[in-house]
Amino acid sequence: MAVLANKQRAIKISSRQILNAVFIGIGAVAVFLVFDAIIGGKCDSKCVIGTLNQAIRYAAPVALAAYCGLMCERAAVINIGIEGMMLTAAMVGYGVNVYAFTWLKAGGMDPALAGDASRWLSLLLAIAASGLMALLHGVVSIRFKADQIISGTVINILALGITGYFYRQYLAQDIPPGPGTFAPFDIPLLAQIPILGPIVFQGQKPIVYFMMIVTLLIHYVLFFTPWGLRTRAVGENPRAADTLGINVFRVRYINVLLGGALAGFAGAWFTLEAVDVFNPQMTNGLGFIGLAAMIFGNWSPFGALAGALIFGLGNTITTTISIFRPDIPSQIPQMLPYVLTILVLTGFVGRAIPPAADGQPYEKQ
Amino acid sequence: MPPALQATGITKRFPGVLANDHVDFDLQSGEIHGLLGENGAGKSTLMNILYGLYQPDEGTISIVGTPTRFSSPHDAIAQGIGMVHQHFMLVPPLTVTENIILGQESLQPATQFLGQLSALDRRSAAQRIRELSHQYRLDVDPDAHVKDLPVGAQQRVEIVKALYRRAEILILDEPTAVLTPQEADELFVIMRELVKQGKSIVFITHKLREMFAVTDRISVMRGGKMVGTTTPKQATSEMLAEMMVGRQVILQIDKQAAQPGDVILRVGNLQVQDDRHATTVHDVSFEVRAGEILGIAGVQGNGQRELVEALTGLRPVSGGHVALLDHDTTHATPRQITEFGTGHVPEDRHKHGLVLTFPVRDNLVLCTYYESPFARGVEIDEAHIENEAQKLVKEFDIRTPSTGTLVGSLSGGNQQKVIVARELDRPVKLLIVNQPTRGLDVGSIEFIHRRIVEARDRHTAVLLVSAELDEIMSLSDRIAVMYKGRILDTLNAPDATREQLGLLMAGVKGGAHV
Amino acid sequence: MSNLAAERAARTDGRATLLRTLDVLSMPALAMFLGFLGGAIIIWITSGSLETVGAAYAGLINGAFFKQRGFSETLVAMTPYVFLGLGLAIGFKAGLFNIGVEGQFYIGAISAVWAGVAFPGLPAIIHLPLVILAGALGGALWAGIPGFLKARTGAHEVITTMMMNYIAFRLAEFVVSLPLRDPLSTAVQTLRVSPNAELWSLWQIPERLADPLNALGVALFCALCAFVIVRWLAPHARRVVVGGIVFATGAIAFIALPPLVKVWWLFDDQYDRLHIGIILALVAAAVVWWLMYKTTLGFEMRTVGANPNAARYAGINISRNIIVTMAISGALAGIAGTIEVLGVSICRCLPLFFSSGYGFDSIALALLAKNNPIGIVGGAFLWGAMRNGADLMELNSGVSKYIISLIQGLVLLFVAAPAVVRYLLRMRAPSKTEAEAPLTRGWG
Repeated sequence: MAVLANKQRAIKISSRQILNAVFIGIGAVAVFLVFDAIIGGKCDSKCVIGTLNQAIRYAAPVALAAYCGLMCERAAVINIGIEGMMLTAAMVGYGVNVYAFTWLKAGGMDPALAGDASRWLSLLLAIAASGLMALLHGVVSIRFKADQIISGTVINILALGITGYFYRQYLAQDIPPGPGTFAPFDIPLLAQIPILGPIVFQGQKPIVYFMMIVTLLIHYVLFFTPWGLRTRAVGENPRAADTLGINVFRVRYINVLLGGALAGFAGAWFTLEAVDVFNPQMTNGLGFIGLAAMIFGNWSPFGALAGALIFGLGNTITTTISIFRPDIPSQIPQMLPYVLTILVLTGFVGRAIPPAADGQPYEKQ
Repeated sequence: MPPALQATGITKRFPGVLANDHVDFDLQSGEIHGLLGENGAGKSTLMNILYGLYQPDEGTISIVGTPTRFSSPHDAIAQGIGMVHQHFMLVPPLTVTENIILGQESLQPATQFLGQLSALDRRSAAQRIRELSHQYRLDVDPDAHVKDLPVGAQQRVEIVKALYRRAEILILDEPTAVLTPQEADELFVIMRELVKQGKSIVFITHKLREMFAVTDRISVMRGGKMVGTTTPKQATSEMLAEMMVGRQVILQIDKQAAQPGDVILRVGNLQVQDDRHATTVHDVSFEVRAGEILGIAGVQGNGQRELVEALTGLRPVSGGHVALLDHDTTHATPRQITEFGTGHVPEDRHKHGLVLTFPVRDNLVLCTYYESPFARGVEIDEAHIENEAQKLVKEFDIRTPSTGTLVGSLSGGNQQKVIVARELDRPVKLLIVNQPTRGLDVGSIEFIHRRIVEARDRHTAVLLVSAELDEIMSLSDRIAVMYKGRILDTLNAPDATREQLGLLMAGVKGGAHV
Repeated sequence: MSNLAAERAARTDGRATLLRTLDVLSMPALAMFLGFLGGAIIIWITSGSLETVGAAYAGLINGAFFKQRGFSETLVAMTPYVFLGLGLAIGFKAGLFNIGVEGQFYIGAISAVWAGVAFPGLPAIIHLPLVILAGALGGALWAGIPGFLKARTGAHEVITTMMMNYIAFRLAEFVVSLPLRDPLSTAVQTLRVSPNAELWSLWQIPERLADPLNALGVALFCALCAFVIVRWLAPHARRVVVGGIVFATGAIAFIALPPLVKVWWLFDDQYDRLHIGIILALVAAAVVWWLMYKTTLGFEMRTVGANPNAARYAGINISRNIIVTMAISGALAGIAGTIEVLGVSICRCLPLFFSSGYGFDSIALALLAKNNPIGIVGGAFLWGAMRNGADLMELNSGVSKYIISLIQGLVLLFVAAPAVVRYLLRMRAPSKTEAEAPLTRGWG
C-alpha cells in the first residue's frame, strides 16, 4: 500500500510537469512560427535542430545559475549574488587559462597537452573562486545573520570591483595568447538517437553536458536522500530540524558552497566554452535570469531547466534574427530575453511556493 | 531506584532575564509529572534545557542516576528523551514518514556507502511507524502529508516521532492548548497507555483542571523558580492557583447582566476561503447587539481567524453579506470598516497589531494617523500625536520608559495594552477582539478583561473570539461555538456548561457527530 | 509627580537620542575605515609594495580635493549620487529594493535629451523645469512598471528591475544610435540639448541672470525657500506675515541679485563644471526627509516597509504604496540621469556606451547612510570624492581605479553586517540595537 501511495505521488508530480511541458511545447511552436516569419521562412529542419542545439548551449549557464539558487534556497538562504559569483569565476577561468598555458608551454609541455591541462585547471580554479564568494555570502548571512538580499548585493558589487580591478591590472592589455576554449564533442551512442541525438548530445562542450548530468543528480539528492530530506526540512522549518539534532548551520553552509560551485561552472562557461575573452559586463544579468528560472520551476531542478531552456531559446532566436535581418536594429531583439524573463516571472510567481523559511536567518535562541 | 530524570540547581540567564533560578526537578520512572506555571514562569526554558536546546549556566542533569551533559537535542535524543513542543516541530510539506525519520533516516542497504547521499528506504520506515502506532494505539497514516492532517493527528505524529527515536522520557509542552476538552481526554488515555508500557512523562500546562485529571505529581513554577511539588490528592485548585500566581486569584470577573440594544453587526450566510482557497467559513450567520459580548468558542483553526479577517476587511468574502450599522461592509476595505466605527484587536499582535520597530506613540495612532488632529493636510502633527500618546499611556497604564520607546522592547502585556488603548480610545461601536490575552501574565489578563467589559457597558457591541474556554465563559453574554467553519449552536452564557461547550467544540450536537 | 516623571522621561529620551546618534555615526565610520584598510591590503598584496598603497591613497585625496578644480569636480560627481541615494533610501524605507536605479538613470537621461532637443526656443524658466520633469517622469515610469508588477503579481522587484536595467541599456543604445543621434558628430552621440535646458554652471550665473526671465525664476525659487523656512521656524505665524516675508524675499531677489552678482561673484573659471544641480540635490534631500518623516505618505511608506501586515490592518493600501514608492524612487534616479546630461556631460548630450556605474555604487551609499537623507548627502560627498580622485590615483600609482568599487563593496559588507565589524574589532554587541526593517521576504 505504501508503494502504491508513493507511486501515486510520483505520478501526481509528474503529471503537473507534463502539463507544464505541454504548455512550453505549444509556446515554443508559436515562438518558432513568429520567428520563422520574421526571418522570412528560411528555417528548414536543419536550422530547427541547430537552433535547439544552440538553445541548450545558451541554457546551460542559466540552468546552472538556477541550480545554484535552488541549492541555496532549498536550505532557506536567498542568493542574489549568483551574478557576482559567475563573474568572478569567468574572470578567474580566463586569467588562469591564459597564464597557466603560457607557463606550462614555457616549461616545455606539448602545446596541445598544455592547453588541456590549463583549461581543466582553470575550470577548477574558477569553481574555487566562485566557492570563495559563496563562502563569504554564507558567513555573512548565516554566521553574522545579515539580510540575505543585501549580502547577495555585497557579493555582486565586490565581484564588480574584484573583476574590474584584476582585469584592468592584468588582463586588459599585453596578454599572451591563450589555449582557447574547450572543444565540442559528441556523446557516443546517445548522439546516434534520431532527432534527440543531434539536438542534445552532439557538438556540445563539457560544461553543457555537466549541466545535464547535474540536473538528474540534484533531483536525486533533493528528493531521495537523507541530505535532501534534511535540506528541505531546514528550508521549511529549521527549528524542527534543529530539535531533531540536525545542524542547521552546517546544512546551510554546505548547500551554499555547493551552490557556489555550480555558479562557478556557470561562470566558467562564459570564458572556457562560449568565447575566449573576458569583459566585465559579460554575464549580462544571466545570474538573475537563473533566479527567475528557479522561481518558474517552483524550486525543482527539472522545472528550472525548463525555465532555462525558454531563455536559451529566446537568446538563440535573438542571435539568429540579428544575422538574418540586419535591417532590424540589433538592440530591439536583444531586449527580448529580458522581456521574456519578466513575463515568465510575472506569470508564474504567484503559483510558485518558495521554501517557507526562505530568507530568514536562523537564530538558535 | 534512581529517578528517570533529575535536574538539580538549573540556572539560565537570558539578556535581562533570569529565566531559571536554581530549579530542582525530578521525574520518577513510570509517572506523569505535571509542571504548572504562568506564561513566562520558566517552564519552557527548563524543558528546552532538558531537551538540549539550551545549555544551562549552572546546574546538573542526570539520567537514571548518571550525570550527563546535553550540548544539543541530538544528545538528549540519544539518552532517550523525546519532546512534543507547544508549536509542533513538523515540516508541513513533507509526509508523516519523512517527518518522523528526519535526522534518523533508514537507508537502502545497497547504497549505504554513500552516507547522506544514499537512497532513503521509505518503505521499511513506514512499516516501523505502523508497528509503533499499533503498539501504542496512536492512529497515524505514514503516507499522508502533514499539512493535510488535523491538529490532533499532527500531535500524534509528534508523539510517534519521539517513540521512533526510542524515547523513554516524553516531555509534552502545553499539548492540550490546541485540543477540545474531549480530545484532551483522549490524549490523557494515550498518556496513561504510554506510562503503562514503561514510559515516563513530563506534562506541562497552565490549566489546573488537567493537572487533577492525569498527573501523579504536580510541580509549580513561578518567576523562574520552582515553588513546590505536591500531588493531586493533597492539592486544591485555589492552592495551586495561589502557588502559580503568588497571590489570591479572582477566577471570575464580576459584571452586570447585559442590556442589549440595537443590532450593530449583522452577518448573513458568510463564506470565506483560506490562503489555499479552501472554504473555511461556511454559511455563518449571527448578530451582535450594542451592549453585549458575543463570544465565539472553538478549537483553534476552525475558521475563526478567517471569519475575523473577513469581518475586518483583511480577507475577501466569497459569499454572503456583512452589515455594520447601516453600511454594507461585505466588500469594504479595512479603512472603511475602521471609519464606520470598528475597533479590532488582532489575533497576532506582532504580525498585525504593531509595528515593532516604531515607537509607542506611532503605534498608538496606527489607524488614525491621517485624521485630524494627527495630520494637517499631508503633514503629520507630531505635537498632537505626542499629547494623545501621553494621555493613553497614563490611562491604560502602559509601562514604558517614554512614548518614544520602540514598542518591540516592551513586554507582551504592555504591547497588548498599546493595541487595546488604540482600539478602545476611538468612539467605536463594534469591538472585535481575537485571542486578546494569549501569552499574557495574570495581571494583564485581568486588566484587559476589565476593559472589554467596560466597553460593553458603554454600549459597544463586542465580538470576542478565543480558544480559551475559561475566557469565553467568564466574559461572554452569549456564546457561539464554531466547528469546521460552521456555527453549531449559540447558547446563553449563564446556561452554558463546560461539558456542553466541549461537545459542541468537538462537533457533537444533540448526541450526533456533525 | 507626573511632571517629574515626564521630565525624567524627556531626559532619558535625550540621552538615548545622543547615544543613538553616536551609534549611527560610529558604524559607518568604522565601515569606511575597514573598507579602506581592506583596499590597502589588496593593493599591497597585488603590487607588492607599501609605497604603492601610499601613492594610491595620496593620489586619491589629491585628485578629490587638491588638484585644480578638484573640489568642485567632487561636488559635480556627488550630485547624481545624492539623487540616486535618496531614491534607493525611499525604496528601502518602504521595504523595496530598487536595484534598478541604474536603468532608471539611463531612461531619465534619454527622456531629458528628448525633452531638451524637442522644444528649441523655449525660455529657460520653462524649459529647464520641463526637462527635469521629463527625466523624472521617465525614471518614474521605468520604476513604476516593476512596482505595478510587484503589486499585481508579486514578482520580486530585485529581478524585474534588474531585467529593466538591461532593457534600458539596450533602449538607450538604440535611441543614441538612431532616433536622437547627432548626424553631424563623428562620435555616436545624441543631439545637444537646447542651451536653455542646460543646468547653469555657477560661473555662468551673472550672465544668465541678465535675462529678466531667468531672474524671475531664481526669485520664485528664493520665495519658495523663504516660505518653507518661515513655516518651519514659526508654524503658527499669521498668513499675512508669511505672505509679506515671502513676497519681500522674492522681490529683493528679483531686483537685487542680477546687479549684485555682476559686481561680485565667486566663480569665474569657465572650465569649472560645478553647476546649480548641487543646490537642487540639497533641496531634494530636504524634501525627501520631509516626505519620509513629516507626512502621512511617509508614515504609510515606513509602515509598509516595517510591517506590511500591520500596514494592511491599519487600512493602508499596500499596492498603491508600492507603486507610488517605486515611482518616486525612479523619479529621483531619473533626475540623476537628467543631471548627468544637462550638467555633467561636456557635450550636453548622451554618448553611446556611457557606463555610469552610479547605480550600484549608490546601493552601498544608501545603506552606509542608513537611508537617512542627511547621511546620504555626506556619503554622496565621500563617494563623489572617490570617483573624482580615482583618475589621478590611477595615473600616479598605476593602481586600477576599480579599487574604488572594491573598497565600496567592502564598506557595504561591513555596513550590511555590523556583526562582522564587531567581530573584527572585538567589540561587544550593544544591548539593544534599533531594529531595521528586513528586506528579505522571499519571492512569494
